[in-house]
Amino acid sequence: MSEMTEAAIPKLAPQRRAPLEIGVDRVWRFFCSVRAAVWEVALLTVLVLIGTLRGSEVPQWIADLVPPLQGFVDRWYRWDVFHSLPFAFILGLLAVAIMICTLNRAPAMWISIAEPTIATTSGFLNSAELQLRSTEPANREEVVNDLRAALEASHYRVLTAERNGDTHVYADRYRYGKLGTFPFHLALILVLVGGIVGSRYGFREKSFIVAEGASQDVGHNTGLSVQLVDFQDTYTELGQAHEYRSDLVISRDGNVVKRGSITVNHPISYRSTVIYQSSFGPAMQLRVTDAAGAPVYEGSVPLGVDLFAKGNSDAPAGKLDLLSQNTTLFVIGPDSDPANAPELDKLNLQSGQMYLEIHDLQNPGSEGRALTLEQGVPATVNGLTYTFLRESEWSGMQISHNPGIPIFWAAALMLIGGLAVVFYFPHRRIRGIVTGGEQATALVAPMARRDWSARRTFEQFAERMNERFPGEWTLTAREDGLQFDGYAADTAT
Amino acid sequence: MEGLVKFSFYCFTAATLALTGSAICYILFSLGRIRVRRTALAMPGGPTMSATVTEFGESPAGFGRFATMLLWFTVFFAGISVLTRCIAAGRGPYSNMYEFSLGFVFAITLIYALFERWYGIRQLGAIVVPVALGMAAYVWSLPSDLREVDSLIPALQNQPLMTAHVSSAIFAYATFAVSFAGAVLFLINENRRVAWLPSPEMLDDIAFRAVTIGFPLLAMVLVLGSIWAYRAWGTYWSWDPKETSALFTWLIYAVYLHTRTLRGWRGRRSAIILLFGFGAVIFTYYGNYFFGGLHAYGGV
Repeated sequence: MSEMTEAAIPKLAPQRRAPLEIGVDRVWRFFCSVRAAVWEVALLTVLVLIGTLRGSEVPQWIADLVPPLQGFVDRWYRWDVFHSLPFAFILGLLAVAIMICTLNRAPAMWISIAEPTIATTSGFLNSAELQLRSTEPANREEVVNDLRAALEASHYRVLTAERNGDTHVYADRYRYGKLGTFPFHLALILVLVGGIVGSRYGFREKSFIVAEGASQDVGHNTGLSVQLVDFQDTYTELGQAHEYRSDLVISRDGNVVKRGSITVNHPISYRSTVIYQSSFGPAMQLRVTDAAGAPVYEGSVPLGVDLFAKGNSDAPAGKLDLLSQNTTLFVIGPDSDPANAPELDKLNLQSGQMYLEIHDLQNPGSEGRALTLEQGVPATVNGLTYTFLRESEWSGMQISHNPGIPIFWAAALMLIGGLAVVFYFPHRRIRGIVTGGEQATALVAPMARRDWSARRTFEQFAERMNERFPGEWTLTAREDGLQFDGYAADTAT
Repeated sequence: MEGLVKFSFYCFTAATLALTGSAICYILFSLGRIRVRRTALAMPGGPTMSATVTEFGESPAGFGRFATMLLWFTVFFAGISVLTRCIAAGRGPYSNMYEFSLGFVFAITLIYALFERWYGIRQLGAIVVPVALGMAAYVWSLPSDLREVDSLIPALQNQPLMTAHVSSAIFAYATFAVSFAGAVLFLINENRRVAWLPSPEMLDDIAFRAVTIGFPLLAMVLVLGSIWAYRAWGTYWSWDPKETSALFTWLIYAVYLHTRTLRGWRGRRSAIILLFGFGAVIFTYYGNYFFGGLHAYGGV
């Protein structure tokens, strides 16, 4: 090297990089940066907090404490954070960062697993906070073999290399554990993918109301219809709801394909369409006939789905359009909680009574004819005869078809599995050098800077070495290194 | 069954008494001993001078041993209380805040007791055990009618999922309480000012190990909750405040785990994030008081 003169070294011309290359490089570095990822996750956390508080009384408490903030709080309540652009942007940013970071880290990580650097330096070993030394010089091969045997007995993979007459030792265990970071991070992307697939290619009916005896088409090109054969609600002795059960018949293109019951937590499915028990309420069975006695309508009118008597939200109401008669019917049932604000119950209906208002279909706001129906007693208005047959119930269901669910379940497995592998199978590494020939000694140290558990693992290995080769190996801790006083001084029993 | 419910409550009473004693002993043990001595100094000229010398040191080990013994009493009685409540109710005791908090007292004391054995230090108990005592005090503050066993409302009638979902939450929160204690003691003893406290490296490791248990458990809470939500409500995620609050907590711990790999963040800053994390745990835990939404039935 000393013969090499300055003239012999070819001068490299400074390479000019294209602005595009510089830009791509910077973007790539940004997405690979853990520091940037931390800030992105932190920002996401803040948005989640804002969205969470929006569903609570906390913002209003703030406004009550500081009245000038009422306008700000109102805007807070109006802002649907989780469906906002900033939230989607941060999620997208994180998804891109995860993908780029994965691509960036994978090759180097694989090399560190498959072909780790075996050689180390005496500087690293001498500056290590924990050092294990052999105190009985012996033949180098013998020392290496002893060390290898002890490490392999502790389930380490041992690799050796000869350098300048010394033997360098590299040992590790759970080397594949750090790969767990990939399924974990990719699972986060899959959760998003599952959500997008579900909303793009699936459907969800949140309020699918069917009265007892009635049938309703599911729609969404499924060809399915659901008939509610029977609905039962049971209560405990204390009046607490115990179970809501709907007995259903599912038909496809007019053919019955499935029968079964649903309760809350126990849905029924036909192929990929799932039907859930959600809510229930009262209904009235009504018969309408024309002047000749021909049936115009016979069926149920659900009450209280989203309609209540004017001024009394305890009195459930329903609406029925009789298209052939150009008539709209508004039906009101008895007050469900007469003890609550009795002054609002102007109709004062009793069990077995229904209030009926008959309007023109084209002009439902116009003044109509009103009457109170007694159960089983027909009443005739404008040539149509109305008979309140009996009280019944309606069942509120949710119907969903979500093709994103398998993706979500796979993501959940990857997420939990990845975390378990990363945390419970940490990569442990030990390096060492065996120097000398016939009078060889070894110096071994863990790669465990500021990692208390890794050092403890190494201590345990040192204890096993001492059991295996009594008095031949000594563990030393550097003065300025880790203090084990807390652990050693006070061992709980 | 009524007898079992009463027995469960008596066991909880015994657990509370043991917990109170344990908390006092852990605090006394961790505060250390202050010894003031008067000494006489002989001056070269002949006269003597008296001076007082204050010495700080470790508390007698007896406090620590007694604290640990009482802690295991607490674990035993709280465990029996939860078990008998399970038998009486015929299900996991997680239908209201009384039962949930009972489980939390058991989980937090058990998890801490195990950490104490693993790491061989007792000083963490001065933080964790008072947190458990606060939870026990909260249980006592609840209306007494919550102590009766009620049948589950239809939305909660999925025993395997309810037990797994809520148990995961309780144990996740318990491990986060341990990480919180590790962070607090780390901040106190960051510069090794208090000789009888564990080393900052060990405290940092305890806090980290606790999070490595709690973080996957909280992920399990979110996953199991999603599975349950899909079976009960037809959608695995509803942006319900309780759901998003748990997600918020999980994200804080995700930030913590990432900061540990950053230069300048590991140590003090990471410990401060853990304080925020446990604040989020408390916020989520008591969220039923001020959240609306699908989890509103879980309140008192």
